[in-house]
Amino acid sequence: MAQPRIGVFVCHCGRNIAGTVDVEGVTEEASRIPGVVLSTHYDYMCSDPGQEMVARAIREHRLNGVVVAACSPGMHEETFRHAAQAAGLNPYLVEMANIREQCSWVHRGAAATEKASRILATVVEKVRGNLPLEPSTMGHSTKCLVIGGGVAGIQAALDVANAGYEVLLVERSPSIGGRMAQLSETFPTLDCSQCILTPKMVEVDRHPNIRVLANSKIEEVSGFVGNWDVRIRKGATYVDPDKCNLCGDCVEACPVRVPHEFEEGLTERAGIYIPFPQAIPSSYTLDVQSCLGLKPLRCSECAKACEAGAINYDMQDELLEEEVGAIVVATGYETLPKAAMAEYGYGEIADVISGLEYERMASASGPTQGEIRCPSDGRVPKEVVFIQCSGSRDPELYKPYCSKICCMYTAKHALLYRHSVPDGQAYVFYIDIRAGGKGYEEFVQRVMEEERILYLRGKVAKVFQDGDKVMVWGADTLTGRRVEVAADLVVLAQAVVPSQGVVDLARKLRVSVDEHGFLKEAHPKLRPLEALAAGVFLAGAAQGPKDIPEAVGQGSGAAAKALMLLSSPELVHSPEIAEVAEHLCSACGICAPQCPYEAITVEDTAVVNEMLCEGCGTCVAACPSGAMNLRNLADSQVLAMLHAALKEHEEAEVLGG
Amino acid sequence: MAKPKIAMYWTGGCGGCDVSPLEVGEAIVDVLSQVEIAFWPALMDAKRADVEALPAGGIDVALINGALRTEDNVEMVRLLREKSKLVVAYGACAHLGGIIGLGNLHSAQSLVSTALGPGWHAGSPSFSANGDAPPPLTAGVVPLADVIAVDYVVPGCPPPAQLIGLFFQTLLGGEMPSPGHVFAEEKALCDQCPREKEDRRLEKFVRPHEMEPDPDRCLLDQGIVCMGPVTRGGCEAACPALGMPCTGCVGPTRKAGDLAGGMISALASLVRAGDEGEDAFAREDEVLAGLVDPVGTLYKYALATTWKRRETGGEDA
Repeated sequence: MAQPRIGVFVCHCGRNIAGTVDVEGVTEEASRIPGVVLSTHYDYMCSDPGQEMVARAIREHRLNGVVVAACSPGMHEETFRHAAQAAGLNPYLVEMANIREQCSWVHRGAAATEKASRILATVVEKVRGNLPLEPSTMGHSTKCLVIGGGVAGIQAALDVANAGYEVLLVERSPSIGGRMAQLSETFPTLDCSQCILTPKMVEVDRHPNIRVLANSKIEEVSGFVGNWDVRIRKGATYVDPDKCNLCGDCVEACPVRVPHEFEEGLTERAGIYIPFPQAIPSSYTLDVQSCLGLKPLRCSECAKACEAGAINYDMQDELLEEEVGAIVVATGYETLPKAAMAEYGYGEIADVISGLEYERMASASGPTQGEIRCPSDGRVPKEVVFIQCSGSRDPELYKPYCSKICCMYTAKHALLYRHSVPDGQAYVFYIDIRAGGKGYEEFVQRVMEEERILYLRGKVAKVFQDGDKVMVWGADTLTGRRVEVAADLVVLAQAVVPSQGVVDLARKLRVSVDEHGFLKEAHPKLRPLEALAAGVFLAGAAQGPKDIPEAVGQGSGAAAKALMLLSSPELVHSPEIAEVAEHLCSACGICAPQCPYEAITVEDTAVVNEMLCEGCGTCVAACPSGAMNLRNLADSQVLAMLHAALKEHEEAEVLGG
Repeated sequence: MAKPKIAMYWTGGCGGCDVSPLEVGEAIVDVLSQVEIAFWPALMDAKRADVEALPAGGIDVALINGALRTEDNVEMVRLLREKSKLVVAYGACAHLGGIIGLGNLHSAQSLVSTALGPGWHAGSPSFSANGDAPPPLTAGVVPLADVIAVDYVVPGCPPPAQLIGLFFQTLLGGEMPSPGHVFAEEKALCDQCPREKEDRRLEKFVRPHEMEPDPDRCLLDQGIVCMGPVTRGGCEAACPALGMPCTGCVGPTRKAGDLAGGMISALASLVRAGDEGEDAFAREDEVLAGLVDPVGTLYKYALATTWKRRETGGEDA
């Protein structure tokens, strides 16, 4: 900075700052700092007149540095930098001194004013050393990768594709559709789930901008926002989808029978199968895990039966290398597996089933065509107990969180049961009813009142087999009475957990996961659709339990975020990042593993990827030869800031100063 | 230009520096033919009085090696400064205090009593009554630059032939760099090191005698504390190339500032790099606690550079 001409603008923030800090005193104090040519204050600096005040001062006083003493830079740094830029000052010569969150909100009395002055003086020193900077820019791919073909992923893919951008929709199982394809009716409107989902699946299938890669997995992800290289393994299906005419002769011929995943194990499928009639891609898949053997070929009955000649045992996995600009992760959920739960007899007593198994039974396309039956002997259950929070809200044994969708689907299950078995009795054990959502509370009330379903507030203590009955012992905490039901069928609302393998995928994508394995958003309130890794967006239950409208909304939201990136002419990134002094760097490589964004590679010297670096400064601290620097936060600036902060505290020593 | 008048003087040190110019081999003949030796006690007989007799500026370049340990050392370098146009801190002791500087871990008095037995006093010339008393010791070892203005540094323990050659070549070429220049690389030693750096993560410390290191992999990656990342290059990584860790004799890179400080930052970064979770710190501490003789390892040559800061409370650091 040639001859510093710094302007200081102190904000009252109404009473937020001025109620604690003597704003006029701070303004006066700042005016005495060498290089400060203007020091002033105002009620709300972020207001239009406040911004105009800054802009006018820049022009009139030919300011070459601005300090706004107000709130956190996270709040209004952008505001003032834009205002300064409009007034002709490089935005990186503008800094915020946070005298609100870090001062007036947490202190009282004269000390608050004293601290505000020190914070301000510190930032004046930083601005004194700031250099004008220009943002970094880079080109990018315009293709979007969507991982997961459930309703959230489908919605994201459709929205991106309809905006005119190419989409790769990668699904691990043989068909897209996800959980929603398995459900019977949806709450609270009782729409047929498949009936409202399949049109979207068909749209995906015929969309010229969408390529569906089913039976596929993400092998490796390298690169960074806008410029990812993704390696996808497209698993061999051993059936040529172009030749397969869906006649199903192969299924008849196949001697193998294994539990049917789509039917939640209620029925069996052959080794060659189509998960459900409306599957997309519409083709049979030979499941090598259950097939008697391909290498060497042990059976070949399906190929013999296939008149179309669609079966090819020599088919190989394909490895696809794709360049994509944005990634939407919508890997969905599963429910707490039977193996994890010993309570309630789940997995031991045949007539204790999970909510998803019940969904399949209640579905018109399910194994019982919508009739509710006991898995043990096929009889129509006359007494059914629904147990909510099975594994949820149970911090001691299972998951501490609320799985969010169970109150609603249990109400729906009970209602569907009453419609299917009008003389049957349904009981629901619950802790609380959480029915926040449009029409949700009304739906639960209707189920409780009109359908004469017995809601019992309490936990179930024990579930055990007694003859052909399943005994359920519990307590009704509202009446204080013990409850015993000799049930025919018990349905557990199992906790929602992230899909298997998501932690592994998250590592490949450099996305963090929370303690339960749900993908972590960049900010729980303000950036719920973004991962911390730039350019990765989250949709649906992969981020936490969600119902259909939320998942669809997030799919659209993530698509909008992805489109912002894909449609921008080039990527723009803040220049306030780490920079290598090449003449000092010995390529010792100590910085590289420190970087949480994997932005550093080591060649002849360390190289910082300008699009990935977030300017955290970890590498700067790690660099033993001072070759790594943070732009506009040079050592000399930090030392000057420390001296300003500790001024008159003689006992404090600034090491190396 | 007339032949430059050279002085070479040895204060507190081992004497290795004094003979190190011979390391350059035959070239020494050329060098000696182009300079005039004004004062070099190890080569030709001369006494303090001969130096005192010289006019101010009577010496063009004084190369001083050794740390300042005695009051006599201090007097002599002040005298040389007075008579010399340029003063060069030659070798690690003059540059950083050197290994002699580790004496600062003990008081001058305890050093004397340990070495000579009880009854001897560090600072009392009266004990020279018996004729064998050591010269009075200074309170602490300091590098040359803490006492007199130093124009250039030729670093190393002793300075490697390349750097000695570089210095004389530059001197005789007549174009000296701006004062303060250190005749070594700006980049750290890793730049010249032939070893491969791959797994930048330290699981535990290993001392050099405890293992035969892999000949191709970075010693730090193998758990040996190698000061390469904080030490100026210039020696062509002589020690690491032969399987011994760099101990930092050439001194810190310009911005590393403090050898131990820089290395602590490097080690702390490398120890179990990438670990996360609540117990990560405890496990890192466990590894760091395994560093044997931290001062002797990280401050082998540079402990004396901290003396003045310690004495003055950091005001001039």
